[in-house]
Amino acid sequence: MKLPAHWPAWLTFERMAKLPAKIAGQFPRLPEDIRFPIPERVRRAMPVFVRTTTFKLALLYSLMIAAFSGALLAYLYYSTVYYIRVESERRITVEFEQLANAYYTGGMERLSQSVFERMTLSGSPFYYYLEDTSGRKIAGHFPRLPDDPPESGMKTVYFDFELPQSDGSKTLRPAAGRIVRLRDNGGALMVAFDTAQQTVIVDRIQSAILVAAPVALILSLFGGVLITRGAARRAEELAKTAEAVIGGELSRRVPVRGTGDEFDRLAQRINAMLDQIGKLVEASQNTGNAIAHDLRSPLTRLRNRLEIALAKPMTEEAASTTLGETVEEVDRVLDTFNAILRLARLDAGTEGLRVRMDLSEVAEELAELFDPACEEGGLSFRSQITRNQLVLGDRELIGQAISNLIDNAVKYTPQGGAICLSVTRGPEAMIDLTVLDTGPGIPEVERPRVIERFHRLDSARTQPGSGLGLSLVQSVAELHGGELVLADGNGPKDCPGLKATLRLPRA
Amino acid sequence: MADTLHPRCLKVLVVEDDNEMASFIEKVLEDAGHEVECARDGATGLARARAEDFDALVVDRMLPEKDGLTLIREFRDAGGTTPALFLSALGDVQNKVQGLKAGAEDYLGKPFVPAELAARVEALGRRTTSEPQVTTLRAGDLEMNLLTRKVTRSGKKMDLQPREFRLLEYLMRHAGQVVTRTMLLEKVWDYNFDPQTNVIDVHVSRLRAKIDKDFPEPLLQTVRGAGYRLQG
Repeated sequence: MKLPAHWPAWLTFERMAKLPAKIAGQFPRLPEDIRFPIPERVRRAMPVFVRTTTFKLALLYSLMIAAFSGALLAYLYYSTVYYIRVESERRITVEFEQLANAYYTGGMERLSQSVFERMTLSGSPFYYYLEDTSGRKIAGHFPRLPDDPPESGMKTVYFDFELPQSDGSKTLRPAAGRIVRLRDNGGALMVAFDTAQQTVIVDRIQSAILVAAPVALILSLFGGVLITRGAARRAEELAKTAEAVIGGELSRRVPVRGTGDEFDRLAQRINAMLDQIGKLVEASQNTGNAIAHDLRSPLTRLRNRLEIALAKPMTEEAASTTLGETVEEVDRVLDTFNAILRLARLDAGTEGLRVRMDLSEVAEELAELFDPACEEGGLSFRSQITRNQLVLGDRELIGQAISNLIDNAVKYTPQGGAICLSVTRGPEAMIDLTVLDTGPGIPEVERPRVIERFHRLDSARTQPGSGLGLSLVQSVAELHGGELVLADGNGPKDCPGLKATLRLPRA
Repeated sequence: MADTLHPRCLKVLVVEDDNEMASFIEKVLEDAGHEVECARDGATGLARARAEDFDALVVDRMLPEKDGLTLIREFRDAGGTTPALFLSALGDVQNKVQGLKAGAEDYLGKPFVPAELAARVEALGRRTTSEPQVTTLRAGDLEMNLLTRKVTRSGKKMDLQPREFRLLEYLMRHAGQVVTRTMLLEKVWDYNFDPQTNVIDVHVSRLRAKIDKDFPEPLLQTVRGAGYRLQG
């Protein structure tokens, strides 16, 4: 790429890179990101502290304070000094006016008399000098004029003069004055005043500013650090928590101070995110455990069966039986596998839509679906469904949960028993969907465990099923912000029946 | 599947990259009496589907070159009307919804029962030939009026519950084909899960009791290991 010749030398590649759009060239972008205004080499050499936001903010803050106070001091300086100048100018003007008055009314004689009078006045800040046309001194503090008088009009002069002291010595004093060419006879009059006092004040102000400016700069830097350190510390807390989480401490959370500021809100969001991640990790761990626990043994059985089949010759009939059994076993493994995946997705909270739906309607559909099968199995099926019970949920998942509960009841209720499906208003803002059976029930100590993954009561080992039915109901309940409650049914003590309640929040 | 009567021979395009799975699908469909062609990647599949007039497409979702969803979407965008079925290991409800939204007519999760696939492909092939505006369905001497919701067999009126009516309607629309239990649960009850008990069987046998009672020729047959078939 060749730069046009008329481009100014300062428009270097670096500066071009700072422009957002590419101007020209064969490459889509520069090979290295050099948009950072500080060159990489310098940036690396800077101490870590300098690169922190605290430092940058503090620097910015102090620079701003310095600029403001600098402007303020400058204003102070100029206004004071200017005022002093203007004030003395004004007083000289007044003095001239009075002397001019004397001159116009009484001529040179009256003027010189007036000058003499003023010279003897004690406490007057002014010094005088009057000469005639030929340049001879008539009256005055000085031996001669410090400068040639103007041909006409007025002229301002600055000069040093020797002031006799009471002890006879002389000191050099700065003075400023005006020389005026008198009209008609053409003499010259100078009125001057001692500027030593003024210079002292100006010097004072100057030195005060020279002291105040660095103090202000240091204080503002200090204040900047103080102010930004709070924010930086919160940011540091976030970073520390993130580091801990990366290091495997998934339970670490960002401290929330309860002030409700931006950092608190950020902390809450991050904590919620960490909670969700924790849930996902736990779900995937559970899935891993479940696969190890429940798929390994049937797969081992399957392998053994195939080994045996391979080992010895079989009749065609025996081979067909073995293959049939094998297919069944594989189907069971697949069922379990699907159930595990489904549970994992439920636990992760990624499954299911949440829409307003009528739980009563779903319950009625499932009652209608299961009723004939129950009757066929020698069980009486009854449903008591309160209409229009709305929940926020996923019809498919809730349908599956209800189906699992009824399946469970059908499996464990002996012939001649009864199953009742009911939907009623639950406590507070909840809706209870209850499946009640007349089976053996579940002893109280066992109840928390049957909800656990893959737990099946010993008495249930002979029944088909993955052992995930109630776990799935529990997961569906949790996903919808509800719970699964297990209790004894209405039967006698030795066979109380099971009352399984899916409790969901009302929409 | 030897006892399956074929309503007609369908020309099916199977797009599947896994060799073993492809030959299994091919075998299942050929056993059911269909003519099968296989494509091994999405791009070839799309080209073949466009080039020739197939009766049904069976498409895997995860394919090399072009994934199944894109294949179907592009095929539909270009005006292709051949009914399609997704056959995928991604088998939960959300995946199904995605597949149907992309423009497929049916969705079957892997692993599948061979009879299920055959039944669904047959149901698909039938779609293209079915007339959209029918008011009366017929199967043998069984007649269903969709407007008056009256069902008669040889002139004798049948008294059906609403759900039985919908069940019979689905069976009649697919008369002569095998329909599986999952297909019935999906299409008649609109649920996608797999109930462990024989709920569907009981409903079918109740329906059978109503329509086949007092008639020497049973119309509603059980196809062992697969499902049911209403005699056409």
